[in-house]
Amino acid sequence: MFSMLAYVTWKQWRQHGLRTVLTLIGIALGVAVFFAVRTANVTLLSSLTTTIEKMAGKATLQVVGNEGGFPEAVWETVKDTPGVHVAQPVIEVLANTAFEDEGSLLIVGVDMLGDRELREYQFDEEGSEIADPLVALAQPDSILVSRTFADAHNLKDGDRLPLYTSQGKKDFIVRGIFKPAGIGEIFGGQIAVMDVFNAQFVFNRGRNIDRIDLMNEPDVTVAELQQRLKDRLPAGLEITRPTSRGQGIENAVAAMRIGMTVASFIALLVGIFIIFNTFSISVNQRWKEIGILRALGVERPNVQRMFLAESVLMGIFGSAIGIGLGFFLAIGAERMMSQIAAQLFSYASTQQPPVFRWDYALTSFALGVVTSVIGAWLPARAASRLNPILALHNIETRQREDVLGRTRMLIGLAMVVAGLLLVRFGPSSVGLSFQFGYSALMIGGLVLLLPKLAEWTARLLRPLMDRLFGSEGVLAVDAMIQSPRRTSATVGALMIGLSFVFSIGAYVSSYQKTVYDWMDRMINADIIINASENARSRTYHFSEDLGKQLATIPGVRRVENVRFTFMPYADDSVAVVLLDMDGWLARVKDVIEGADEAEVRPKLIRGEGVLVARNFAVRYKMGVGDRLKLPTPTEAFDLPILGVVEDYTSEKGAVFFDRELYKRYWNDPAVDLINLSVDKGASVAAVKQQVQRVIKGQHRAFIFTNAEYKKYIMDLINGFFVLNYMQMAVAVIIAALGIVNTLIISVAERKRELGVLRAIGGLRSQIRKMILLEAASIAIVGVISGALAGVLNTYFLVRTAATMIGGYTIPFRFPIMTVLIALPIALVIALAAAWWPARKAVNLSIVEAIGYE
Amino acid sequence: MIELENVTRSYGEGKTVYALNAVSLQIMRGERVAVMGPSGSGKSTLLNLVCGLDEPTAGAIRIDGVDIARLDDDARTRLRREKIGMVFQTFNLLPTLTATENVSLPLRLQGVARKQAEQRANRMLEKVGLSGRTTHRPDEVSGGERQRIAIARALIFEPPVLLADEPTGNLDSTTGEEILSLMDELHAEFNTTILMVTHNEEAAGHCDRIIRLRDGKVVSTLAVKVHNELLATEVG
Repeated sequence: MFSMLAYVTWKQWRQHGLRTVLTLIGIALGVAVFFAVRTANVTLLSSLTTTIEKMAGKATLQVVGNEGGFPEAVWETVKDTPGVHVAQPVIEVLANTAFEDEGSLLIVGVDMLGDRELREYQFDEEGSEIADPLVALAQPDSILVSRTFADAHNLKDGDRLPLYTSQGKKDFIVRGIFKPAGIGEIFGGQIAVMDVFNAQFVFNRGRNIDRIDLMNEPDVTVAELQQRLKDRLPAGLEITRPTSRGQGIENAVAAMRIGMTVASFIALLVGIFIIFNTFSISVNQRWKEIGILRALGVERPNVQRMFLAESVLMGIFGSAIGIGLGFFLAIGAERMMSQIAAQLFSYASTQQPPVFRWDYALTSFALGVVTSVIGAWLPARAASRLNPILALHNIETRQREDVLGRTRMLIGLAMVVAGLLLVRFGPSSVGLSFQFGYSALMIGGLVLLLPKLAEWTARLLRPLMDRLFGSEGVLAVDAMIQSPRRTSATVGALMIGLSFVFSIGAYVSSYQKTVYDWMDRMINADIIINASENARSRTYHFSEDLGKQLATIPGVRRVENVRFTFMPYADDSVAVVLLDMDGWLARVKDVIEGADEAEVRPKLIRGEGVLVARNFAVRYKMGVGDRLKLPTPTEAFDLPILGVVEDYTSEKGAVFFDRELYKRYWNDPAVDLINLSVDKGASVAAVKQQVQRVIKGQHRAFIFTNAEYKKYIMDLINGFFVLNYMQMAVAVIIAALGIVNTLIISVAERKRELGVLRAIGGLRSQIRKMILLEAASIAIVGVISGALAGVLNTYFLVRTAATMIGGYTIPFRFPIMTVLIALPIALVIALAAAWWPARKAVNLSIVEAIGYE
Repeated sequence: MIELENVTRSYGEGKTVYALNAVSLQIMRGERVAVMGPSGSGKSTLLNLVCGLDEPTAGAIRIDGVDIARLDDDARTRLRREKIGMVFQTFNLLPTLTATENVSLPLRLQGVARKQAEQRANRMLEKVGLSGRTTHRPDEVSGGERQRIAIARALIFEPPVLLADEPTGNLDSTTGEEILSLMDELHAEFNTTILMVTHNEEAAGHCDRIIRLRDGKVVSTLAVKVHNELLATEVG
């Protein structure tokens, strides 16, 4: 029997080819986005960890400190530790060349005598006159570059390579070229090697190094040696296997990953509505066919199975296409993610093709199929419960759809209210995954209420459409009202897609406004000079000398050096902002919470305590009076928290204290930002020009006026959300497919009605207008429900997600403008989607249509 | 008024099937004509061609002297709006609209304001005896009432021609008789030319003339009086 049913299904697919294709695309796009995000994420992590592993060479352990590095004296201790076969110091700097393109170059500082035991350098001997390039590094101006970099800049042995260093622009001489293998593959081959002590000097590391790579003796296990080193080295240093450093990176990009994953689920969710819609309509269209099958003896469960099997097949085909498509999408997504990782987190990655993970492919495949079955479940059940007598009866009026039972409405309302209450009063200790359930509860409730919402909105629209568009407008709205399930499935797809567009838009706009207000209070230097085009550079810094130089410019009243770094803290990391406290406190006022600011100010300047960001206090449940302990490469850092400040530097939390204190504990004099205040009456633009003149040709620096800097920070924030916006766009595209699907089916279902309209004097243009108006009405209802769902979701995002992910408190601001802008866009999309169905409708044969059953 | 001259409607390539084959006939203003014949004889095709829903393969169909076969789709539709009302066996009412809205629809499609169109629709519903059913939807009224609504819709702009395709085909005999009487009354009032396709001899009896079709050709044209006499002779 089942083969017979499969044959019936196959005939349906063939007969309704376009509907089948649209549904497959709906599933495929949902699966593709989901698979692409996971693949891009794993590819990014893999390329970041590949960089670490290739850089580590044969090292079995690494000694790392915070980003400022640690004293080179530690190297001696490590070398003297029994069980250490070889230990080599390393400095890594992402610097820029002074070539015209100013491209980035990863510079690795190594000890030329011992490093070969750890890392394999395959030197390109062609054309080289140097016997041992590593030995050549002993000369202070020597640099070795990869073949890839040399070819890109047409460099050969003996050529000059100008670099921006912390000491200003310096020329190096290429004294060796290594092949693009092993270390030569890192960072797309944009890599150079120089002497570690030379790197210390030119990149202003003082007597610090970034890392020690080491190998154990064969008779000592890695674990044993790790413990020995832990016992001997200061607490601030981490002794880790190179492979486990990837975890740290994963933590750093966690916020980005969570955002992407949530957005990718949305695409799948929208897909459910499309499938639900397709199958509901399929059941409606096959009303009579089902009746005949039932009359011929097909049992209820078999009818249900026929539809579910159809959904499984759709899921299988759609998911397979989606995985293929997703793999290609992952290439673009990974590029964008690595760009964000570089811009916001300052991580260098090595470009590599997407990593195909069978487990991800299988998960995505299974999700696609399950999504398809979920979408088809209710229509399949409805088909099996069909009354065969009614189905076979030649009914004049179409079967009326049950709009919404009271129970379903009450459940929907209860879910929305419960979700709202949980967002408002729910405990934060339950964890983010659980809290996402609050949002799901609210949206799920709205989905249950959707048929009624769609009906109410359509009824409200009816008189307006009548006034504006006459009978075509009324008929268009009626077409929606008469099929609330069909309408609400399409509206549901639009609602989910748009609600996330609105809520992400609202979240970003609330976040931007908050950050902008915060910047107004906290960032009020007249000119800001950044060492990197990104938010910061982990490795490239200014020296204090630059600040001294800038202080001599006429019109400059005060120069403040700022160091901005991250440190490990409580199994994660925390931003540490080191300020010239007296200068900063002179510029800001009423920023310290939880303490008397007047009392705290002198203590901060004297380095007797720290300030913490509000999100740090929330995250780690610490407040004024608690003591903050930070790992240092020297003595123990244990100071009281003197106050709390509102701050949005990092979602991981931030700590602020005087830079002199930092220099004392961390031996790190590097500078990331320089704040300049100009004399009263002096022209900021003129001083900026002077600064540019002093810096030009000496340093690679990014000079902003206050307003420019704020805009630059805003652009960085927007960049973070670009991928989310793109995923939302996919969700909206899937929703648009839903509109096409719905309208095609609407035309097919109403063939007779359209034929009658033509027969009683409806012009083709009027039919076209009617279909277009129906699409427009769906879009309007979609935007209204999307806005409603968006309000709920925004409330969730600002109340729960922002607090959980970043510990931030963001005020609720709903972007009315975004909704108003979305309305015409949604209308255009809907009208474009309606073009083909409208064409189909006007070309209907009237005679056939009137005779249609 | 309605004139068909050598009208042919054929389908298919190669082996051509003739739904109508060189049919010529004339129907005068105010005349009531029944078209009868077995299934597949070409009755419905004839009706579809006269109202411009279908196009002839050859020949001319003139309504008030205008050859509708030469008109484009929009012009044919406008002609239908102005001159032809249609009643179907299956009523073909729009299920979501009330009786008033269904009846006023042709006027609304012509651009008549809603209020004015609905006033006229209600007057027409009153004429067909449905003044109490104006706000009902098709699934809330009986089959006979649905056909009355359909007739009201067909006559809302007082067209000179009414085409009816088996108007009593879906009704019981009593209701069918009521509908035919209603059509008689409306014909008397508006002097509408009626072309009715029917299988029903009783229904045909309400007309002035009966045209019989077989295999796409006119086999006889008789005045009802003559037709009834012949029928009586055959029975006798």
